[in-house]
Amino acid sequence: MRASINRPPTPDPDEEPEKELTLQEMINIKLIESGEKEKLMELLRERLIECGWRDEMKALCRAYARKKGRNNVTVDDLVHVITPKGRASVPDSVKAELLQRIRSFLTSVPL
Amino acid sequence: MNLGKPLPCSHLKEYRKHHGLQGYRSLQTHFRTAPSGRTAVGKFQSLIPRCSLCSLRRCRLYLCLICSSISCSDHAAAHSQANPGHEIAVDVDRAEVFCCVCADQVYDPDFDTAVMAKQFLELPKGREKDRCRKRRAAPAHDIERASSRETILVLDCGVKNRSCQPLRLRGLNNLGNTCFMNSVLQTLLHTPPLKNYFLGDWHNRELCQKQRSRRRRRAVEAGELSCLVCDVDSVFAEAFSGNPTPYSPARFLFSWWQHSSNLASYEQQDAHEFFISMLDMIHESERSTLQNKGFGDCHCIAHRVFSGVLRSDVTCTICGFTSTTYDPCVDLSLDLEPSTDSRSNKSSRISTLMGCLDLFTRPERLGPDQKLYCQHCEMHQDSVKQMSIRRLPLVLCFHIKRFEHSLRRGTSKKIDQYLQFPFSLDMTPYLSYSIIRNRFGNRIFAFEGDESDVSNDLSSEFEVFAVITHTGRLESGHYLTYLRLGERWYKCDDAWITQVSEGAVRASQGYMMYYVQKQIK
Repeated sequence: MRASINRPPTPDPDEEPEKELTLQEMINIKLIESGEKEKLMELLRERLIECGWRDEMKALCRAYARKKGRNNVTVDDLVHVITPKGRASVPDSVKAELLQRIRSFLTSVPL
Repeated sequence: MNLGKPLPCSHLKEYRKHHGLQGYRSLQTHFRTAPSGRTAVGKFQSLIPRCSLCSLRRCRLYLCLICSSISCSDHAAAHSQANPGHEIAVDVDRAEVFCCVCADQVYDPDFDTAVMAKQFLELPKGREKDRCRKRRAAPAHDIERASSRETILVLDCGVKNRSCQPLRLRGLNNLGNTCFMNSVLQTLLHTPPLKNYFLGDWHNRELCQKQRSRRRRRAVEAGELSCLVCDVDSVFAEAFSGNPTPYSPARFLFSWWQHSSNLASYEQQDAHEFFISMLDMIHESERSTLQNKGFGDCHCIAHRVFSGVLRSDVTCTICGFTSTTYDPCVDLSLDLEPSTDSRSNKSSRISTLMGCLDLFTRPERLGPDQKLYCQHCEMHQDSVKQMSIRRLPLVLCFHIKRFEHSLRRGTSKKIDQYLQFPFSLDMTPYLSYSIIRNRFGNRIFAFEGDESDVSNDLSSEFEVFAVITHTGRLESGHYLTYLRLGERWYKCDDAWITQVSEGAVRASQGYMMYYVQKQIK
């Protein structure tokens, strides 16, 4: 009896209060709700294609798939393999541009 | 290597056996295609998707086709383990099928068909839409055949729905006697070098505003104005956005008012005055960011396109000494050449643009009240003045002085006389080189190193691309622009744009004519 009274309530993720969201998550939500995230994604895609980053990643994936064998490779595998390389090889100019866009978005919107 | 159609995994086969196409079709209503062509699953119950186990909102999220719960890539496997039968999910951002057990993307042609069918249904409506609806009700096994038929419909859709108006033209709404602004804006929007400049993003609004917004916030009291060139860039962006509905350049009008407060009213203004003020303001805006050697060599976009150099030779009638001055100009204001009296026996000659240019460059005897100082004689003497063009701009703007303001009588009137203008114009006879040579022959002193000024690389051949006409009286008139796009002429009457014949343009009463150098497109 006492055990059940003293048992802490089961945390329900659907009911978590808003203020427990990190700043990062709040920004993300604001970006998605305003539709800015889509625009930023499009811009990012364009820039990464322009600078050849996407082709580099494609080549990496192809090399990996060839090595492992076509039927032994999953999407998860590929993502885990190229993510660190991908993150490291994004050109600084692209990062700067995206950051600038996010910054100017944040200054134009009340958080 | 055989790259045939990828085979479904055992889990996908199981799913299809139990559920067929139901899951795909019910999800179809939630597909959203972005303009870029990417299809994603739209917000479910208007909530931002997040993983039900870890609340992650980023990265790859998968929507279970059985229970609609969302899992991130790390927890997808856990979901299928906890719920047998819930193996197949859809990637929310990419609208692609995923198997949670195999932890890999799987392929089902029927799913892709459902995605494509939804895309076709969202294309421009026509009668075809009703036919599409009927196809949607087709039984499940017909979806593949149906969507291929829809492909053909879509191809027809695209062609039928376009009006004769090219997407590069967009009407401008009249905001209250603003036809003077609309006519000039339409011309500037289609001035080739300007169009290339703005559409080529040579003036970047992001970079520009950054510099000015800070100053603006602090200097609002000081009356610091917004960048007019940014506003012009916005107008270009709107005009060429592909949207065919007329655009209201309200923001631009407001910005122009701010820059020229004395003209800020709903009264009719003069189009030529507006044109000059616009070039002036663009020059002012860019002046701070450009290093200028001098007004004649200004590198701001307004001057690079429109600025030419005029040469003025004043000759003393007594000693023959000529003093030469060079002045930059952004347009040529020409007096109307008077046409001969129709009552005379000779066939009446209509005034032509070439005639006006002849008038402009003829030696003009200055009156006794306009004696100019002769350096040779060291006194004021009767003089003869002659104008010529030293350097032609990329785009020539001719302004016909149709509004006569008589200071003596204090009245103004409009001259409606018809002016014939050529579609193709050779400016060679009006260049300084030709004028001076005709007048002085081979006299050495007249040239004074002018030989080097003859720019052989710049052509003297021009072709017309825009004509602004004014109809009506001085106080209540209307401005129109005729624009040439390729071989066709279009009449731009505020928000109404119609195609017209060449003859209609030739017969119009030209007030301002814009010519561009032939080699520039």
